[in-house]
Amino acid sequence: MTATPEYVLAGVRHEYRSGSAALAGIDLTIESGEHVVIAGANGSGKSTLLKMLDGLVFPSAGTITAFGRTLTEDALEEPAFRREFRSRVGFVFQDADVQLFCNTAFDELAFGPLQLGLAEQAVRERIASVAEQLRITPILDRAPYTLSGGEKKRVAIASVLTMQPHVLLLDEPTNALDPRSQVWLLDVLSEWKQAGNTVVIATHDLSIAAESADRMIVLSEEHGVCADGTPGDVLSQRDLLLSVNLIHEHAHRHGGAAHEHPHGHGELHTHA
Amino acid sequence: MPALAHIAEPRRTTRRRSLARRTADAVGHAVTEVLDNDEIASRPGLMQKLDARVKLATILLFAVAASFAHSLWVLLGFVALASGLAAASRLSVVSFSRKVWASAGFFALLLSLPAATAWITPGEVLVAFGPLSITKPGLYIAVRLVARVAAGAGIGLLVVWTTRWTDLLHALTALHVPDLVVATLAMTQKQIVTLLRTVENTHLARESRMLTAGSAAENRGWVTERMAFVARKSMKTADDVYDAMLARGYAGAMPSLVRLRTTTRDWAWLVASTLTCAALLGADKVVFSR
Amino acid sequence: MHIPDGYLGPQTYAVLDVAMIPIWAVAASRVKKTLKAKQVPLMALGAAFSFVIMMFNVPVIGGSTGHAVGATLIAIILGPWAACISVSIALVIQALLFGDGGITAIGANVFNMAFVMPFVGYYLFRLIAGDSPTTRRTIVASGIAAYVSIVAGSIFAGVEFGLQPLLAHTAAGRPLYAPYPLSVAVPTMAVEHLLFFGWVEALATVGIVSALVKQDSEMLAMRPAAKPLRWLWAAFGILVLLTPIGVLAPGTAWGEWGAAELGARLGFVPAGLGDLGSAWTAAVPGYAPAFIKSPTLGYLFAAVLGSALVIGVSWAVAKLLARGENSRPPKDARPPTSPTTPS
Repeated sequence: MTATPEYVLAGVRHEYRSGSAALAGIDLTIESGEHVVIAGANGSGKSTLLKMLDGLVFPSAGTITAFGRTLTEDALEEPAFRREFRSRVGFVFQDADVQLFCNTAFDELAFGPLQLGLAEQAVRERIASVAEQLRITPILDRAPYTLSGGEKKRVAIASVLTMQPHVLLLDEPTNALDPRSQVWLLDVLSEWKQAGNTVVIATHDLSIAAESADRMIVLSEEHGVCADGTPGDVLSQRDLLLSVNLIHEHAHRHGGAAHEHPHGHGELHTHA
Repeated sequence: MPALAHIAEPRRTTRRRSLARRTADAVGHAVTEVLDNDEIASRPGLMQKLDARVKLATILLFAVAASFAHSLWVLLGFVALASGLAAASRLSVVSFSRKVWASAGFFALLLSLPAATAWITPGEVLVAFGPLSITKPGLYIAVRLVARVAAGAGIGLLVVWTTRWTDLLHALTALHVPDLVVATLAMTQKQIVTLLRTVENTHLARESRMLTAGSAAENRGWVTERMAFVARKSMKTADDVYDAMLARGYAGAMPSLVRLRTTTRDWAWLVASTLTCAALLGADKVVFSR
Repeated sequence: MHIPDGYLGPQTYAVLDVAMIPIWAVAASRVKKTLKAKQVPLMALGAAFSFVIMMFNVPVIGGSTGHAVGATLIAIILGPWAACISVSIALVIQALLFGDGGITAIGANVFNMAFVMPFVGYYLFRLIAGDSPTTRRTIVASGIAAYVSIVAGSIFAGVEFGLQPLLAHTAAGRPLYAPYPLSVAVPTMAVEHLLFFGWVEALATVGIVSALVKQDSEMLAMRPAAKPLRWLWAAFGILVLLTPIGVLAPGTAWGEWGAAELGARLGFVPAGLGDLGSAWTAAVPGYAPAFIKSPTLGYLFAAVLGSALVIGVSWAVAKLLARGENSRPPKDARPPTSPTTPS
């Protein structure tokens, strides 16, 4: 009845090369199909945590288990496990430029499946269907650095989707996206929810948590977990959010009246 | 170019542009040249329709052929040929020629001018400036040097302007250049554009903040500090890109799905170019006395 | 130092183009071994950085500026083989896309700037910096290494130029390619770089290394673990032992004639030569010390003495630098820096 949880983190700590802490004692379990938002101010460690979920960074203490197997550098050197893990977990980086390193957008979409060892025909089929899904078929022959910000993001996401991952990790996905693209992204996220994918998003944009997540985890500036619950619950804890620097007190004017209240940017709110 | 769009064309002044401005201009120009290519490469001209592999072979063919020609007329023939092809490829012949002679001209001229003097090439004196005199054979040698540089540059620039960088790279793969090499070239190209944009912006920012020219040592301190910053940024970017590659399953190989097709037009071109080079070299043998 | 097309004839450019192939092959396999899967992004960034460095205007003095190559700097950061590949890629892109440097001359340019420069610069840097150098020693070593490396590269370029009139000329003796003889090409290139471009290179390298050490000294520890230089000394020793081969060559090196020989060749001795020729009496004239009768032993003696003097001076300079540091208080451990990865 209880399926193996997707991820189990126990006592995970991580230090930077200089010795300062990036993550301090994280205990966490993520089940398959959950939509989790990891929120925190810049410097709280959420990007590091996300990279750890993708086996790009390993704990200095504690263990992280993925699909029942402990994630270590050695484990990922095994070709069979590496292929399985990489095809199951997709990472969308904050900066699309970093993620687009191939000659053309077509090559980007082909890179993942080719690394997994798929045959040419299968690769071309996957590319065609993902390109159509994300509406980037006309720009497949272009070099990524000639594309606009929104186009790059679509190509970046497409390049991950051709691997048909079950788990999707997104690092600050709405950064540098114009409003229309942000709405488009939220649509994509809800599609994935319908399809049963596990999605983990690291962000300081609280509106994503409100709109699409089942669960919200907050990292404090001391790099530990200080809240873990439904978005409704967590977002109502104003004092907590203030203390971790996710929202701030701000005085402003609406029309003729001045008032102050705590809020985070990215939240739309109206006043009577 | 977004970075330059808001800057009005500077009035022509006799005052020398600042170091920061000169570098920013050079860098911006380089980025534009690299990016502008897409527009020119999409025009419906002669060279644009040829397969990239064939064009690469053509560069080699012409460059090597020109290196065997010794008659000034034959070399100028090569340049004229390139200009003609440029016209057939919907390029502005004026700007093409200007670019060819500029890239050949200044530096080559400087290097070859001493060869025109009696000191290097003794012979019949044409003109004398005091102790320095220009000789007839010297002048011929100097001009020929410049012409040979232009001859090689002409066809090279023509191919590069009429071919998308992406196609050039695909051509290299199709020519069995190792995948890792091609992948590295692709990534280098892209990173050059990114780094150049950063450099251009920092130089423009400095330009906008400086009221006086600054001493050489001061400027040098700033320039080297910027270069160090670029060095660190490069290494950090390499780390990030590596992570991104790992995340998509990278384990050291970069396979590619490249399918280029050659048409009869391509083969016809190859034959025609080879015959043309042979004819030019034949003419050279006749015209130029050894 | 970018040689355009048309200055080197096919005999020269073809030889250098072909010579680079095994060098690149070795570089590729070395880089693959040390950098492993990370080689692609690192080489791409190294090449992009090299390209960008060559675009910077470095102020020298007054209003003059010059361009640096940066090969020694990259060799110090990434190691000589990785530097070879990075600078090669940058040069190829410059030649193809920007017409900076000829296409047939790619082999020559790569040889001078992506092979000679990084290797000379790297090993000289290691010789002067020693095993665990302090900041000041690192900086000084990098400057000297950069200066010498670009002069070395320029001398190779000068030789490549200077050989052309000998290799290809008309029946009348007119050169078909670069028209400058060795006696003009080599000194010109060398002096140009000794007086100007060498300083550009040194100043740029010193400036960048200083800034790097201040901002992030870990970058300078990136190169693959340095192997001991014993083999270098062994190779050097062998070269010293081989110097007596000079005994086999008859006559005097081109351009190195004394007054008497010049008189015999030309029929007269230029006035200035006659006067100056006797101004200095060498300690070991003609590489043949008076007390050694056999020419072979004489060569060996001269070689050992000469090498000892050169090495001795370098060693003394290095020791002076080291002593200068030892008399200062030791540098404190670096305070923890802010995290390099934002989260």
